Amino acid sequence: MTTWNMTIRILVLLLAAMLAGCAPYSLVKPDRQTLGGALSVEPGMEWNRVQLADIEGKIEMWTLDGPALNRLIFFEGVGDGEPLFKPRSGSGGSAKKDEKLAVFRDTMNPFEVQELVHATIARNFQTTIVECRNLKPVQFGDGSGFRFDTKFTARDEVDRRGVFVATVRGSRLYGVWFFGAGSHYFDRYLPEFKRLVDSAQIVGTAAAAK
Amino acid sequence: MSFSRRQFSYGLCALTALVFARTAFGEGAPASQAKNFVQPGYQPADSDERGLWGVMDRAEHEIKSSRFLVREGEINDFIRGIVCRLAGQHCPDVRSYVLRTPYFNANMAPNGMMQVWTGLLLRCRDEAQLAAILGHETGHYLRRHTLERWRDVRTKSNFSAFLGLGLAAAGVGYIGPIADLALVASLFAFSREQEEEADEIGLNLMADAGYTPTASPEVWDQLLAEFKGSTAERDKSVLFATHPLPEKRLATLKQRAAARGGDSGERGKDAFRAKLATIRPMLVADELALRQYGRSEIVFDQLLADAPDDGLLWYAKGEIYRFRAGDDDANRALSAYARALQSEGAPAEIHRSIMLMELRVGARERAQEAYYAYARLRPDATDLEMLRALLP
Repeated sequence: MTTWNMTIRILVLLLAAMLAGCAPYSLVKPDRQTLGGALSVEPGMEWNRVQLADIEGKIEMWTLDGPALNRLIFFEGVGDGEPLFKPRSGSGGSAKKDEKLAVFRDTMNPFEVQELVHATIARNFQTTIVECRNLKPVQFGDGSGFRFDTKFTARDEVDRRGVFVATVRGSRLYGVWFFGAGSHYFDRYLPEFKRLVDSAQIVGTAAAAK
Repeated sequence: MSFSRRQFSYGLCALTALVFARTAFGEGAPASQAKNFVQPGYQPADSDERGLWGVMDRAEHEIKSSRFLVREGEINDFIRGIVCRLAGQHCPDVRSYVLRTPYFNANMAPNGMMQVWTGLLLRCRDEAQLAAILGHETGHYLRRHTLERWRDVRTKSNFSAFLGLGLAAAGVGYIGPIADLALVASLFAFSREQEEEADEIGLNLMADAGYTPTASPEVWDQLLAEFKGSTAERDKSVLFATHPLPEKRLATLKQRAAARGGDSGERGKDAFRAKLATIRPMLVADELALRQYGRSEIVFDQLLADAPDDGLLWYAKGEIYRFRAGDDDANRALSAYARALQSEGAPAEIHRSIMLMELRVGARERAQEAYYAYARLRPDATDLEMLRALLP
């Protein structure tokens, strides 16, 4: 893919983002936010909370430039036997309802969670071009967690880079995944993402669980 | 993008419509059929056909720069060679593209653009099986089935509205396909009659080219077994109630294969395996990422029946069981990995998989050994620090 081709594709996405003005967005102020009663973060800038038409799950999604350009997905306690997220029924996504999705198991170690994320990307974004690497232990939500880089190309041929950070607490997975198109919509917000991850706390009943 | 019920029951869905010569069809071909073929160097005859070619030309332009295009030279040359062997004089009119999509499919557009999906390459056991599928596609093309089908559709609805509906149904949205040719292909599902005609033409083409005719019904048998076996994971009633298994079609194909020489002819097993060698680990990984355990297990078992000492395939089976994590899957996975290590071709990552499995069953020392084997073979792996932290 040439740079020029990529530029054109990103412009198309930008246009799509502008046209998607009717999507159900709401403003997220740079104050501490609690998500699903389980995960608390403090953003350093204004984000948009968006209800997406294509995927669903125990998740919340934010964006800065539109979901085609960048997405921040919070996992608010994915339980044993549940997929991280799945194509919303009726959205015409790739997974037929008679095809099983890869699911989270509370016995999974970080490496196996990374494999789960890989399979989830492959199925949801209908792609074979997926790479998850640089898995490392990190602090997350006042405890031990892990992080890894994600990279995939969806059917729109645009490269999306991201970082996935998570922890398993009391048999549930809590985490946050940020990904964006090209360097402009990803690298630019990395400091904000890092700040957000550093601010993360597991709260409520989940906080007591080991 | 997955194999739809319609694709399954009607067989390979293909965008077809072009050229093929009597000479390529050979003497065994019924003259009544061959005279209906398009001629070498064929160009669209009217505005309908020009429009159809135009759409396909644009899609082909996109495919050429696609990230999903497999550019590896050897496999492309190999497929090109098979196509030319089947297509004879029409060889210059057909351009083949290998796309990294893990489903069983191939299709040919009316302008001569042929797509071969990697899921098909993974499933073929030899060159003759691949030739059977490429021959079938060529059959659609020779008889210009796409054009026939398109005209049929146009009499019923406005084409652009029809196309628009298809795009909406495919979920072109925030992250949707820009030039998803499979989507366009799905708009042109062929009739049962067209599929049967393509079966017959394809079989004759491959037999004329010297390939083993039996490979044709065989590859369909394999696909049928894969789908039957997968019904534990699927809704049997939905899949099969509306679309009866094409067993009659298969029986017809078997009779015709027997009449054209049965098991005689060339298989090309070793050549096929050699040409595919560099991309096979990728094909296996793409199949595993689908997490369709039942189906994948059947696919790998079918391949292992032909190559019982293939370390990559045993590794793949182990991965299925490790991912599935059902009752006794730990033992199944560890046995498969052990078998893989006794054979040739298992990737270094097998040691990481063994480590994870041994950890799951609480075998600390064996997990440690596997970790060190992996670290030795992949000293630059970016996950070593994390894996080491998992060791007790």
